[in-house]
Amino acid sequence: MTAWEKQASRRAIWFLLPALGMLAVFVAWPLIRAAWWSVTDADLLATDDAHWIGAENYSDLLRDPRFRHAFLNTALFAILIVPLQTLLAMVLALWVNRPEPAWRWLRTVFFLPVVVSLPVLAVVWTLLYQPEQAGETGLINRLTSVFGFADRAWLRDPSLALPALAAMSIWQGVGLQMMVFLAGLQGVSREQLEAAQLDGASAWQRLVHVVIPSLRNTIVFVVTVTTILAFRLFVQPYLMTRGGPDDRTLSLVQYMYETTFLNLELGRTCAAALLFLTWVGFLTWLQRTLFNEEKS
Amino acid sequence: MTPCFLKIPDGLKRYPLVGIVCWLAALVGAHAAQDVRLRVWSHQGQEAENHAVREIAEAFNAAHRDRGWTVELSFFPDFQYTEKLAVAAAARDLPDVFDLDGPLVARFADVGLLKPLDEFLSDAERADFLPTILAQGTVDGRLYALGSFDSALVLYYDRELLARAGVTPPVEGQGWSWDEFVKACEKLKTAGIEPVALHMNESADEWFTYAFSPVVWSAGGRLIAQDIARVRGELTSEAAVRGVRAWQELFARGFAATDPVEPDPFGQGRVAMDWSGHWMARGHLATKGDRLGVMPLPSLGTPAAACGSWCWAISAETKQQEAAVAWLRWVTEAETGVVPLVRANGAVPARRAAFAHFPEYEQMPYALFRAQLETSARPRPRTPFYAMLTHRFAAALRDISRGADVESRLRKAEEAVQRVIDRKRPTKTAEASRP
Repeated sequence: MTAWEKQASRRAIWFLLPALGMLAVFVAWPLIRAAWWSVTDADLLATDDAHWIGAENYSDLLRDPRFRHAFLNTALFAILIVPLQTLLAMVLALWVNRPEPAWRWLRTVFFLPVVVSLPVLAVVWTLLYQPEQAGETGLINRLTSVFGFADRAWLRDPSLALPALAAMSIWQGVGLQMMVFLAGLQGVSREQLEAAQLDGASAWQRLVHVVIPSLRNTIVFVVTVTTILAFRLFVQPYLMTRGGPDDRTLSLVQYMYETTFLNLELGRTCAAALLFLTWVGFLTWLQRTLFNEEKS
Repeated sequence: MTPCFLKIPDGLKRYPLVGIVCWLAALVGAHAAQDVRLRVWSHQGQEAENHAVREIAEAFNAAHRDRGWTVELSFFPDFQYTEKLAVAAAARDLPDVFDLDGPLVARFADVGLLKPLDEFLSDAERADFLPTILAQGTVDGRLYALGSFDSALVLYYDRELLARAGVTPPVEGQGWSWDEFVKACEKLKTAGIEPVALHMNESADEWFTYAFSPVVWSAGGRLIAQDIARVRGELTSEAAVRGVRAWQELFARGFAATDPVEPDPFGQGRVAMDWSGHWMARGHLATKGDRLGVMPLPSLGTPAAACGSWCWAISAETKQQEAAVAWLRWVTEAETGVVPLVRANGAVPARRAAFAHFPEYEQMPYALFRAQLETSARPRPRTPFYAMLTHRFAAALRDISRGADVESRLRKAEEAVQRVIDRKRPTKTAEASRP
């Protein structure tokens, strides 16, 4: 290292300090506090009176059927959402990826639900899913009845509630991923596409052999982000089903909310949150490793 | 021309330093006269109610100017107010005085966050409060909170719709037995009239516990054995299950909607009876006039009514105890607090002395509100575990209304709550389960 480089790296520390300071205050310190509380019996209303209880919160959580139930629900939600939403976002992006202004309008339409506040959408969709009550039927049941299906109580049927929430969430969130794919599509090499076309490759072959391989990084990003967002499920079930029917839509975040603000068990919440963080971190690592392996 | 208030007196122009010193002295003087600033938090209710609280605070400040006491009011949206209080408690930043929903008093008292109020209250003052207000604020024999108003839950009915179906309402002040209620529903349904609105579209869990605990109580059951914090076996007691089964039948037989859309189908004239609270009285009287009738809730044995509302408590850590007690007195005193608040929100006055200001309490439906609070109303369970209890009970009721098996669904709810209790109170529960 030359003297100049040494000086530059010493100076760099000063430029890094503000960012590091913020990270320390808003990320590192809360994490340390949470880790400490997670091994205590801290009560939210009386944090000073916390006692060390070791790994009890963790072992108790892993044994708690309600926590496991919340985990399975959320995992199921992610399994429903991640492939469907990624695929749909890609199809939409390929569809609207045209320069004419008319398509810009369509892009806006698909993106609109991302911008609208989620609680508002939750109320609207609750009405859409409404089964017949006193002569009034929600739009979705009216549509399905056209095809001869019986009226369904989407949000209160134990086997339909979670899929119904997933459908609504896909509709709400797909615009964002579509935008990411659109950005990715701009990076697909025109020369390669033209070369493939000259070689007589069909549209499908061009998609599979040129477009999708060029989108690899975008796909990794979209899948990772969608998975993380799916595990953070909260607003939709909290407002549309309150976690019911029969706890079928109880999500991990709602479990943590209940533990914090209903039971006021701060220690246990911190343990749950750290388990949650570890799990999401593990998933992200797993996805990156799998995709990278394919590359090699 | 300079406006006169911008003109600086000639003397001050000459001696600016003297002016600044005088001004500073005035500031310090003013500060000395108002050295007690009382932090008061309140949930944000309807605008009229917030306005009333603000005016009460202004009147308090004016009346205590000589003592230098100033109330500083902050309002917070009521759907996150409880969270706000919890976080403030965690940060040891609770205000001197705050209001909280009645059933939460026990949780705050349990960890010693509230100052007991018994010593500040004379026997005469105590006797002037409705018994339900005292019961709601009392945990383990000590009084921790006082409300300015209470609530009432009744069965409103439309005389004309009942007559059309050939149903005779009970004598004034009396309620139906559950069988009579079910028979009335049958007749109404046969006549093509939707019998009763139970407001299952309420988003808050609290509606379910508030409105339907009386069914469990009247059947002889309870939600929790309060003293020993035991829920297991209580929600699934024979009496509780009998009550909830009877309630489920209302939906199974199509007497009440499981997923209504309208907030007030009774007011719209579509439904014959309304299982609802005092807050609908003004509206119902306006739309129905003489057609409006009211009776206590139908009973499965012992008549039981609901009560409870927001109440005021003092932080155990307040350094302004004298001013805090004065504020609590002021806001729960008939003339200074109860009357303006009740005028604004239409709730039931908490003080007997205040009823003189509301002549409507001589008549129905108001007379019934008071009568119930004086005799048959019970506060919701006063247990530190109330938040989880009401949450699980409400979820169970939602599922049960839609056809879930009563006993197994209630068992699931009581297990979930008991698990929380056992976790936090291993000793107490272990003692209790000893024969």
